[in-house]
Amino acid sequence: MTDYEKGITRRDFLRGTTCTFLAAALGLRVDAQEVVKEAVKPAVKKTKVVLIRNPEVLDANHRVNASVIQKMFDDAVTTLLGKSDPVEAWKQLVKPNDVVGIKTNVWAPLRTPKELEQAIKQRAMDAGVPQEKIGIDDRGVLRNQIFLNATALINARPLRTHHWSGVGGCIKNYIMFVPSPPQYHPNSCENLAAIWKLPIVKGKTRLNILVILRPLFHGIGPHHFNPTYQWDYKGLLVGTDPVALDAVGVRILQAKRRAYFGEERPLKPPVTYVAAADTKHHLGTSDMQRMELIKLGWTEDILI
Amino acid sequence: MNLSRIFKITLATLAAVVFATMVQGETAMRMNELVPRAMHGWTIQGTDETYNRKTIFDYIDGAGEVYLAYGFQDLLVRNFANLDEPDQPEITVELFDMGSSEDAFGIFSHSREGDEGEIGQGSQYQAGLLYFWKGRFFTCVLTKRETPSAKQAVMALGKAIANAITESGSKPQLLNYLPEDGLIHQSIRYFHTHPMLNYHYFVATENILRLDASTSAVLARYQHPEGKSYLLLIDYPTPAQAKNAYDSFLAAYMPDATKMGTAQTENGKWTSARVQVGKPKLIAVVFDAATRARAEALLGAVNKKLEVTHP
Repeated sequence: MTDYEKGITRRDFLRGTTCTFLAAALGLRVDAQEVVKEAVKPAVKKTKVVLIRNPEVLDANHRVNASVIQKMFDDAVTTLLGKSDPVEAWKQLVKPNDVVGIKTNVWAPLRTPKELEQAIKQRAMDAGVPQEKIGIDDRGVLRNQIFLNATALINARPLRTHHWSGVGGCIKNYIMFVPSPPQYHPNSCENLAAIWKLPIVKGKTRLNILVILRPLFHGIGPHHFNPTYQWDYKGLLVGTDPVALDAVGVRILQAKRRAYFGEERPLKPPVTYVAAADTKHHLGTSDMQRMELIKLGWTEDILI
Repeated sequence: MNLSRIFKITLATLAAVVFATMVQGETAMRMNELVPRAMHGWTIQGTDETYNRKTIFDYIDGAGEVYLAYGFQDLLVRNFANLDEPDQPEITVELFDMGSSEDAFGIFSHSREGDEGEIGQGSQYQAGLLYFWKGRFFTCVLTKRETPSAKQAVMALGKAIANAITESGSKPQLLNYLPEDGLIHQSIRYFHTHPMLNYHYFVATENILRLDASTSAVLARYQHPEGKSYLLLIDYPTPAQAKNAYDSFLAAYMPDATKMGTAQTENGKWTSARVQVGKPKLIAVVFDAATRARAEALLGAVNKKLEVTHP
């Protein structure tokens, strides 16, 4: 049997011959030597990821405060791009002649907040993009002329556990760019990152925002949703590398599950697509050693 | 092709479509009668929604695929509101016809996490969500905000639906081959396909055990004094398929296995596998046993159960 036919087995993880990120996602032992090997890798340019939290962003009824989320978003983007002014930062991200698609997520129980969509749109307009050249869409992107002609994409969605891929994050948010999403479902959606190589999106993404205001850390029932398993984390993760953002998001969910259940509760199904996005599709990095995680704002129960 | 033949084919196609629509309509009508129209102040809101294998994704996002991995046929959705107390949350009933009692149990086992309740043939209540199976039906009654009144109504709706389902069904035959000693009953999972196996216990990215819609599998956890282990049983349609899958598994997962089909894995634990090509045609695999003796003893216990069932 060839390696292709065999694929990756549980024993490959136990041997430590494959990605430690995925081994951890499976709840398997991560070999101590492997961790040491990771730690002594030669210095490389690190991917910047900004985590910002603010206790005021949600009220007691979990409603989003528009001005607070705008400020959080601005602070994260200016920190990410090393600028003091958000509009100047956005001029690095988009040009006035760009056609900008804001890929949101409208899953009813936990959608991308409209306040954040508007904050993104406002900054794209501040950078000189005309309003009529900016679109916000999720399930209709393949019929939306803005998205079909987009030269720049901004990707924003909430973090949650997912029944079919283990976790729904930035990488998975592009599944609506394919006509047949189920074709990406095998092996816990292992090859989601391949979508990012399709012409409709390839090389167009300027910014990713993983919304972790009130993430879902455990799913039950047919819809994989119950608000009992949401919590007020009140954060945003912002960066240019969707793999890095998802890898951090997975770790936060795992930490929350550990804290809530009082034991190691691996995500079900195992999150294979984040590691594959790194090691197989080379979309970005899932390796914390190759990231510069910058934490801004509220730090209580930060979990990472 | 002459006109008469075209006419006959058109007529036959039309008849098939009409028949299918009638059957679907009849099923929906029958399911409709199983769900009350009011309970404890909550009354029906809007019109019922129905979905089938082709339209399930219109109702349940990606997770609809889980139902397709079983024999799901039809879904009836009915919403309730308490008009006298508008602050009370809505309640939704989802009644799934899973095609067989085995698959109704299977989808129930896929979700359950703790001890069973007493509604239907097995139930669980968790944070505003009641789900149970009875006969070939799997039912969810849910409220997104749990209040004492809403919980009472959810439970009463569940009991009423379970009482209205007159048929009861058997659990999968494969469960009879699970040895009792050390078995954690709540851990039993019944399924058919490779993604479902990996969902519950990751074995390999490729389908090295050759699972598909025609195979039946059960996975269960065992607790013995020396530690926990997993037992996987898979029933194949033919002896050749069972043998082929066994060979594939050994080659991919444990090429270092002894003649007894046992190997020590890299976590210091033991995996052991056997194939039986008589009745039934099955593969049994123990994963993560603390000792070689425990792995082989568990497989021996399966053999004993098989001998009793198929002397």
